[in-house]
Amino acid sequence: MSLLTETARVLLNGLQTGAIYVLLAMGLSIILGTLKFVNFAHGALYLLGLYAGILISQQTDFSQGQLAEYGLSTLGLDWGFLAALLLVPLIVFVLGIAMERFVARPFYDRPDTDQILFTFGLAIVVQQVVRILFGGNSQNFAQPGWAAGPVALPLVGGFPQWRLWVIGITAVLVMIVYGLIEFTDFGLVVRAGTQDAEMVQLLGIRITRPYIAVFGIGAALAGVAGVVGGPLSVVNPTVGTDILVPAFITVVIGGLGSVRGAVVGGLLLGITESFLIQWSLVIPSLGIDYGFAPWSQVGIYAIAAIILLVRPQGLFGSEVDVS
Amino acid sequence: MSDESANPADRTETATTVDTADAADTTETEADGGETLGGASSASTVASLQARWESARDRELTVIGLTIVGVSLFPYLFARAPVVSDLLQGYQELASLMLVWGIFAIGFDILLGRTGLLSFGHAALWGTGAYAAGWASANITTFPLLLVAIGVVTAVFLSVVLGWLSLRRGGIYFAILTLAFAQMIYYMASAPLAFITGGDNGLTGVEIGSLLGVFDLGTELPSVAGTLLGTWRYAFIGAFLVLSVTAIYRILNSPYGIVFQAIRENEQRAEFVGFNVWRYKLAAFVLSGTFAGLAGALFTIHGQYVPLSSLYWQTSGEVVIMTVLGGVGSLLGPLFGAGIYLWVEYIVSGGYPFDWIAPYWLLVLGLVFVTVVVLFPEGIWGLVGDLRDRVATRLEER
Repeated sequence: MSLLTETARVLLNGLQTGAIYVLLAMGLSIILGTLKFVNFAHGALYLLGLYAGILISQQTDFSQGQLAEYGLSTLGLDWGFLAALLLVPLIVFVLGIAMERFVARPFYDRPDTDQILFTFGLAIVVQQVVRILFGGNSQNFAQPGWAAGPVALPLVGGFPQWRLWVIGITAVLVMIVYGLIEFTDFGLVVRAGTQDAEMVQLLGIRITRPYIAVFGIGAALAGVAGVVGGPLSVVNPTVGTDILVPAFITVVIGGLGSVRGAVVGGLLLGITESFLIQWSLVIPSLGIDYGFAPWSQVGIYAIAAIILLVRPQGLFGSEVDVS
Repeated sequence: MSDESANPADRTETATTVDTADAADTTETEADGGETLGGASSASTVASLQARWESARDRELTVIGLTIVGVSLFPYLFARAPVVSDLLQGYQELASLMLVWGIFAIGFDILLGRTGLLSFGHAALWGTGAYAAGWASANITTFPLLLVAIGVVTAVFLSVVLGWLSLRRGGIYFAILTLAFAQMIYYMASAPLAFITGGDNGLTGVEIGSLLGVFDLGTELPSVAGTLLGTWRYAFIGAFLVLSVTAIYRILNSPYGIVFQAIRENEQRAEFVGFNVWRYKLAAFVLSGTFAGLAGALFTIHGQYVPLSSLYWQTSGEVVIMTVLGGVGSLLGPLFGAGIYLWVEYIVSGGYPFDWIAPYWLLVLGLVFVTVVVLFPEGIWGLVGDLRDRVATRLEER
């Protein structure tokens, strides 16, 4: 492989890994930025999106959970992947709205610590419910038939088609959210609310409704992340909590409440990860051949540490201290 | 919040009433109530007894004395006493494990309960203490006391670094940053440093020598001590628990420790008064890290094995749950939280006689945790305190 091919491959893989982080971080970031609500249960929304996606798109043999004991071992609507891609965001959007109403709202006036504790507990509860219902073993989320297999790209050669779709879907969603926040009246209210919620209310604008919508959109993005990311990763009840940490890192790197920050942060992490997986230091004269794949996870945290030391408010964060 | 802040001693007061009861025993409320009710025959006796108890229970000697009594009776009650132990299904090794986690939790509460900082990265400190002790036992020395010292020193060193990095931003940032750096350490241990840590297999080959070169930790103590405490290992861990409680009591009741509380109540005001808030926060972080490292080293001595999961953020989550469940801000509450958590984790999840609930143990804990956060921010310890106060007022009314 030539250096150019390898670079292109690293970039594409990085974009795909980063895309999932971007989808999660965008939701986390706009919720955190506007509502000042720390959602440790964001991973649970990802998890719910993932399992909803599996149940809608295919029939799965859940052999271990409680449902299997009741004789419901094979579950699923088998409506195909496209149906899942369209329905899951709606389902998780509704879940997000319910969450805003019943989980977040009672906690707006309580300290950050309570919000974190409560949503953390909620994440455990959701994870356990999923585990009890569907079993703790890993499931296979099939890639959609129309996007399975590799596709020949110039320069790169054969590349898994679904990964490209993930990048494409994410790009479209990023543009929609960005447009919504930057160029609509709704976005104007949301941005104003980020600056000074009280002032917006004094101007006679009901800020609660945009807030609910922000929470719903953030949740829906996490649901989409579950559906598009599912076929590329393992599917079991712990993935929600596992992916939460990189998503938070992305938010912190990018800066709170910034869509641009979430995108740049997510892609930075994704590309760092895929670069370290690919890269090995070879110096033949010294007999060194060291692969950096084991460092790939460490790398994203190291990047986060460096950025925070140099620029504590994050790449696109404002100077205003949010704490 | 403000009425509590007015009287800092009040918190420790509630915190020291019922240490005689063992960690997993919920009968403590009755035991405590009974003590007061016992003298109810004549009102004056009650009043004088109560007054004497009120004045005594906050004293250092009372706290430490009751902790010692509790620690010495606990394994007997939990693992060997006729009826109680059958009900609880307890066993000796679990009793020691509860103390180990108890040290972790009461240390963690310096940060969460006193200073008001929520760290999601204490697994790094606990795990590093455990790994340092384990690695040293295979490579340097097998003396338990030295292993503890090595674990503590390593954890202190790490907590200075982690605290310095994470405390650059306050509030939610702190929780996320501690989480992130702890995960970084987890991933370092899992692959790049696997030649030291053993990677996914955990650290095997831990060898624990005898205490002071004389007493084998696995053997039983002589005579009555053996019946009560069981093994030398338990006595060793129990001694460290008593030491930790003493140290934390001293720290929190010193002028220095009161500043932690001031920071929790109102950081800005503490700053205006002239305290260097950042330095106090770092101190609280390092102090809690010290106890996390101590507990981690004891965990290695207890289990003679360090699983990789001891660095994973689930472990941080566990200590958070224990502390909140037991009672944030109380001296001994987290100890009970740790006991209850481990009891559910090891006994309830194990099946008989809890078959009906065994698969749901973590769900139940999660629901209880969420309920505690929403409805009883003072935790189980606070509930016990409320009950005690209610009994006391009813007695006074009579």
